[in-house]
Amino acid sequence: MGKVRPKKHPPTTDMTAMTDVAFLLLTFFIMTATFKSNEAAEITTPTSISAIKVPDEKIMIISISPEGKVYFGVDAAATRVAMLENMGETKGISFTDLEKQKFSFQSSFGFPVGQLKSWLSLPPDQMSQVKQPGIPVDSTGTSELADWVYAARKANNQLRLAIKGDNASKFPVFKDVLANLQSQNINKFNLITGSEQPPAGWVAEEE
Amino acid sequence: MAEIVESGGGHGKGDGKVRAKKMSTRVDMTPMVDLGFLLITFFMLATTMTKPTSMTLNVPAKDKIEEKTEPLKASKVLTIFLGRNNDIYYLDGIAADDDKAKTDMGTARFGSEIRDIVFKSKTRINSQNPKDEQGNDPFVVVIKPTPASTYRNMVDILDEMAITKTKRYALVDELTPSEKELLGDKVEAKDQ
Repeated sequence: MGKVRPKKHPPTTDMTAMTDVAFLLLTFFIMTATFKSNEAAEITTPTSISAIKVPDEKIMIISISPEGKVYFGVDAAATRVAMLENMGETKGISFTDLEKQKFSFQSSFGFPVGQLKSWLSLPPDQMSQVKQPGIPVDSTGTSELADWVYAARKANNQLRLAIKGDNASKFPVFKDVLANLQSQNINKFNLITGSEQPPAGWVAEEE
Repeated sequence: MAEIVESGGGHGKGDGKVRAKKMSTRVDMTPMVDLGFLLITFFMLATTMTKPTSMTLNVPAKDKIEEKTEPLKASKVLTIFLGRNNDIYYLDGIAADDDKAKTDMGTARFGSEIRDIVFKSKTRINSQNPKDEQGNDPFVVVIKPTPASTYRNMVDILDEMAITKTKRYALVDELTPSEKELLGDKVEAKDQ
């Protein structure tokens, strides 16, 4: 009798602090995120102890897939369009504005220039499904890859060149790529690798 | 005097003032937290945190006129052949056409094994030979990737050059006839 019963409340936790943490982390991840763009091929690079970072912009990347196919990509969309125009000029192919626009979305591609037009005429969702044959490269040093590199450098002469080879790709393909670049008087290459810890006790030499 | 008496309606006692019920201002944050963590998970998975590094490789220009230099003496050279299945064959200070080449050729694996060989050869050659006029060490490594080797092998061996701080190395992609004979089918590209 006369007992005071406490009113029953559902147990509540203060979520404010948790929200704060969650959104702080979210902000961090959004800011640092660099998305994987739709690459033409999955490439696993070898690792090296080199500490030089790959530049993000003004770069053209030649990728070598495990099967030895060669892909080419340039970073900025505007440069891609200019490159395609230059390439069309040399090869005598004209591309429509729609084709140019579609091409500017491709971070890398691997088509002989003759097949490029039919690939660009496909709807976007089908484009990614087509198996790409790779850019023709041979040991003569004057194959299409050399033309593409020339067209890209004509579009933007500040482009740096990087080669991204797969672990399993065979050496002769790399040799051919090298021959194509050397024919353009490019003698300095950046090989993209993953990072790896140097062995214990190893100290970098001061320059 | 007439009086207006408000009555009925069942609300209020006495003075009849309507008092709004005090509502709690607390908002339930749970769905917001849920959403927050969902997005965090997505971004964590989509982010590639490790930035790739790059290794520079300078090759001599093709059409440049070679300066006349005396040919490399085999005794100052460690020749490394990259073979099939990540195998390394090496000739330490001996030419491939030497009679002893067959017995002296060693095999190694990537990693510490080849590193030790490079270090050993480097100390031996540098102690036996004087420095050249420019003050360079006499030790030279000649790397010969064969068609059977992979791009990874080449990057790994270039990395070993950086690790062992070997300044003078050359990447040569052609085998001499005597080297071909010595290595035989160890370096032929075969479909596995």
